[in-house]
Amino acid sequence: MKTFVGLFFTSTGFGLAILIAYWFIGHEETTGTVLLAIMTSALAFAATYAVIAERNARLDGDGEKLTPEDTKGEDLGIFTTQSAYPILVALSVLFMLLGILYSPLLAFVAIVALLLCLWRLGAESARI
Amino acid sequence: MIEWFTATDHKKIGIMYIVATMTFFVAAGILAMMIRAQLARPDNALLSAQLYNQIFTLHGTAMIFFVIAPFGLGLANFIVPLQIGAPDMAFPRLNATSLWLFILGGIIMFLGFATYGGASANGWTNYAPLSEISEGTGAGNDFWTIGVLMAGVSTILTAVNLTTTVFLLRAPGMTMWRVPIFTWEIVATSLLILMAFPSLTAVLFMVLIDRHLGGHFFDPVYGGNPILYQHLFWFFGHPEVYVMILPYFGIVTEVIATFSHKPVFGYVGLVLAAFAIAGLSIGVWAHHMFTTGAVSNPFFSAVSFLIAVPTGVKFVNWIGTMWKGSLEFTTAMLFSLGFLFNFLLGGITGVMVASPPIDYQTHDSYFIVHHFHYTLGGGSMFALFSALFFWFPKIFGVRLNETLGKWFFWLMFIGFNLTFLPMAFMGIEGMARRVYTYPNVEHLALLNGLATAGGAIMGIAFLLFIANVFISAFANVPVPSNPWGGYSLEWATSSPPPEHNFETLPPITSRRPALDLMNT
Ligand SMILES: [Cu+2]
Repeated sequence: MKTFVGLFFTSTGFGLAILIAYWFIGHEETTGTVLLAIMTSALAFAATYAVIAERNARLDGDGEKLTPEDTKGEDLGIFTTQSAYPILVALSVLFMLLGILYSPLLAFVAIVALLLCLWRLGAESARI
Repeated sequence: MIEWFTATDHKKIGIMYIVATMTFFVAAGILAMMIRAQLARPDNALLSAQLYNQIFTLHGTAMIFFVIAPFGLGLANFIVPLQIGAPDMAFPRLNATSLWLFILGGIIMFLGFATYGGASANGWTNYAPLSEISEGTGAGNDFWTIGVLMAGVSTILTAVNLTTTVFLLRAPGMTMWRVPIFTWEIVATSLLILMAFPSLTAVLFMVLIDRHLGGHFFDPVYGGNPILYQHLFWFFGHPEVYVMILPYFGIVTEVIATFSHKPVFGYVGLVLAAFAIAGLSIGVWAHHMFTTGAVSNPFFSAVSFLIAVPTGVKFVNWIGTMWKGSLEFTTAMLFSLGFLFNFLLGGITGVMVASPPIDYQTHDSYFIVHHFHYTLGGGSMFALFSALFFWFPKIFGVRLNETLGKWFFWLMFIGFNLTFLPMAFMGIEGMARRVYTYPNVEHLALLNGLATAGGAIMGIAFLLFIANVFISAFANVPVPSNPWGGYSLEWATSSPPPEHNFETLPPITSRRPALDLMNT
């Protein structure tokens, strides 16, 4: 098992332990129990996903004896260095939140802008 | 200029995080100076009560959400990919989105001062039902909520990005058990963020729903429950203090090991302690709610005490790393040693207030202000400056002036302790926090006078730091790739690194690849 999968499993186990302890000691208090239960199930989901993801992952970083020579010419994909969409997404989120509070029209425009930016961002990252 | 706004390179994003957090730091520092000016004398009326409330609210919120926490993650943005030999973060566009959500969030929060009724005045905890009463907390509180909401979402996205990067993008040979401690602390921090921060997003949306869309989550008149707010807030809020300390534990570890010229003592112990602290911190949130009488005090007290154990392990490791090493007292090292001293004091008062009887006595007093400034100011902030002096040559390609740096350290160290040590005694003498003035009883006038003098010294010290940055930048002496004899991988590339981080990656066969490279 890879270290990071183990990490997610340990975290889930830990969440479960705290949940059970809290259940027995603080039983009159449901808010905390529910919060811990939600947190633990989210961790369990992440741990399960990690197991599935691990199956077809081959990580150079886990090869103790691997050197950069061995992985020469391997395709790492492209790391973009410029994109205008992140800042536009952030601006749309800001105006969406302001719109929800003060102006339905602004909220509508901002949501449209946000969806448009996310769509273009997705298209941009699919292109390369 | 425009290329900075659209940059997705992790190094540019890291630099923008550092510049943005330092800008917010200056703003929050000016607010702190105003607080100290108002409290310099008893019965002072320099600031009105309402303005004072706004000032301490934005000081606290800015330091927590827009300085200490994002500086750690922003620094990680620059350093972690270099430490593990990755060409960039796993999701560069997501990374840029996080950055801009964070910056815009900080700006909108500060814009609260420009609104009718002023900025939020509810303290950084924004407790309901106070935060739901519209009078006096108009648009300023909405701006505050939106700003913190955006910073919180930004933090979650950064955590996803950092975990993915460390798990999947390590260079050949860089196994998890060879990754530097700073990167490990960032992994622990990120997992903690993923567990705790969704609760913050939820609770802030609930406040907005209550304020604007007719909800009554926290309003007892309509069957809501104000204690629910405290649960949701502190479920995030306590882990947040570890999000503000774990990255700085990492910084201190790297700096101490580098300037002791020895390998890290007890590497595995440090990693396990980081995860033990992160895990335990999930089970202590209601130690902030002892006095509500609505939580199980024995449970939360016991788990809080337990955190002292892994923290103690870390202290043993730091001292073990220095033991019999050839210590080199650079400015970065001095700040890390200052961290050890201050954080130890903050930790001890932390253990004290984890005990409900002491907490009942000191709750909402200056004793608490003393406690958390020793952990986050004397702790995290000192480690922040340690990191700046340590990695400045790597990030900007110039070294900061060491003589000015040492002056800066000693002034900060004296100023800090002069400001915050008296607060313990103010608290014991009954001075309440978040109150804009105090009567001339007991020794409050003397203690507050000392604290204000200490604040002034810290202000002067910081001006010295700014001067240092400009003087060093103008001197512009180029630095070699490894100016300190550092051991981790970032010291194996040029200063500053090229666009794709490494012209050639060295082989990684141990925990100290940069030293291996120097020795071959
Ligand atoms: Cu706490």
